[in-house]
Amino acid sequence: MISHYLQRNGIPTTTISLIREHTEITRQPRALWVPFPLGRPLGVADDPDFQRDVLRSALRLLETATEPTIEDYPHDAPDGGGDGVWSCSIQLPEPEVSDLEAAIRAEVDLLTPWYEEARRRRGRTTVGISGATPEEIDQVVSLIIAIAEGSGFQQVPVSAEGPNWRHPLPMLVRFAVEDLRAFYQEAVTSQEGTKPPSQHDMHSWIFNKTTLGRAIMAIGHQIAENEDRRLMTMRGLMIPEGFWEGEVSWGELPPGMDRLSFIKSSRAYLAGEEAEAR
Amino acid sequence: MVRLDDLHPEEAAGMRAATSRFGYIDHESTPWITPPPLSESTICLVTSAALHRRDDVPFRFGDSGYRLIPDDVDPNDLVQSQVSVNFDRTHYQRDMNVVLPIDRLHELRDAGEIGGVSRLHFSVQGASPDASTFEAAAADMANRMKELGVDAAMLVPV
Repeated sequence: MISHYLQRNGIPTTTISLIREHTEITRQPRALWVPFPLGRPLGVADDPDFQRDVLRSALRLLETATEPTIEDYPHDAPDGGGDGVWSCSIQLPEPEVSDLEAAIRAEVDLLTPWYEEARRRRGRTTVGISGATPEEIDQVVSLIIAIAEGSGFQQVPVSAEGPNWRHPLPMLVRFAVEDLRAFYQEAVTSQEGTKPPSQHDMHSWIFNKTTLGRAIMAIGHQIAENEDRRLMTMRGLMIPEGFWEGEVSWGELPPGMDRLSFIKSSRAYLAGEEAEAR
Repeated sequence: MVRLDDLHPEEAAGMRAATSRFGYIDHESTPWITPPPLSESTICLVTSAALHRRDDVPFRFGDSGYRLIPDDVDPNDLVQSQVSVNFDRTHYQRDMNVVLPIDRLHELRDAGEIGGVSRLHFSVQGASPDASTFEAAAADMANRMKELGVDAAMLVPV
């Protein structure tokens, strides 16, 4: 889409394509389809030669294509997509539900040195999208616990006050979950030489092996019990398909609606814009 | 990966539904533009990963605006307000370049394969439920690109 708009305004484009069907429909001017998992357009982390080859192949279309073109990149990602090659080398206690807060805080304590090591080695962290700093991870936990235990989706609970939360509720919950996931994921991939997990490996670990996963599922139940159906969109954005208790994570759509119209109808509410308008 | 048949059936159904967002695009009317040779072209990146600097205004859900990312950005200054759970984040968490290949562009420039790298790159939130809302932002981005001396844009989705 953007490629058409940019071209109409005088800027030539070339694009990497991850979903071939979308690119076929949109007929972008120049596209390199790559056989990599979603989220990995350049193929694989920490492999400059491979990344450069992908980039060069996409850029070259600016010189070679003379009409709308989809070229297939001929190489798979060096890790083959990575499913099933990863196992967590940090032993966490069995996930438990009896005292969610104590159990998550114990996990975070156990993971903190690994997280700090990853951060030091990489010189960066991706934690912070909720607005909480990495040093405020305890308050992120407080927010997740409060929501999981039923504090509702309208007001930041007193126990989670402090950080400069940068998203309004309800969507703040989505980003707080992402921050905790980033903390966990950066921690467990910190060891040199370990192959990075695939997306499915990571989802399986988070939802089957950690108390954080139990807490996210508890939030999913709070959403299911809430009278505002629009929250189900957020559940679909938070719990991947295949991980919600044998059912569709998005739940049953309201009559006459497809998923896209349902997302559209819930967007302003989830983004906190309705609360602001009042 | 990734054809829709490789995804979880519900995820694929959602992606197929999303194609209805694209139906209105009249691709026949899009002009064909040929840039200068690569070795003379200045390139900018456009990522749909909703990346932005920590102090920048976060993307809201369905945000159809764009954010600017300096070419010399500290990777630690980038966060990602992308809402979808259905894509891999672990490689990006290890290496910015798997999503935003700024270092790779610099290498191609230093080797003379491309003419230059824009001093600013562009970021949008790709999972917008209504893609037509990008039209105004894209026109504005194109104007900025011209001011920056950009000859061609490299679009990188997630």
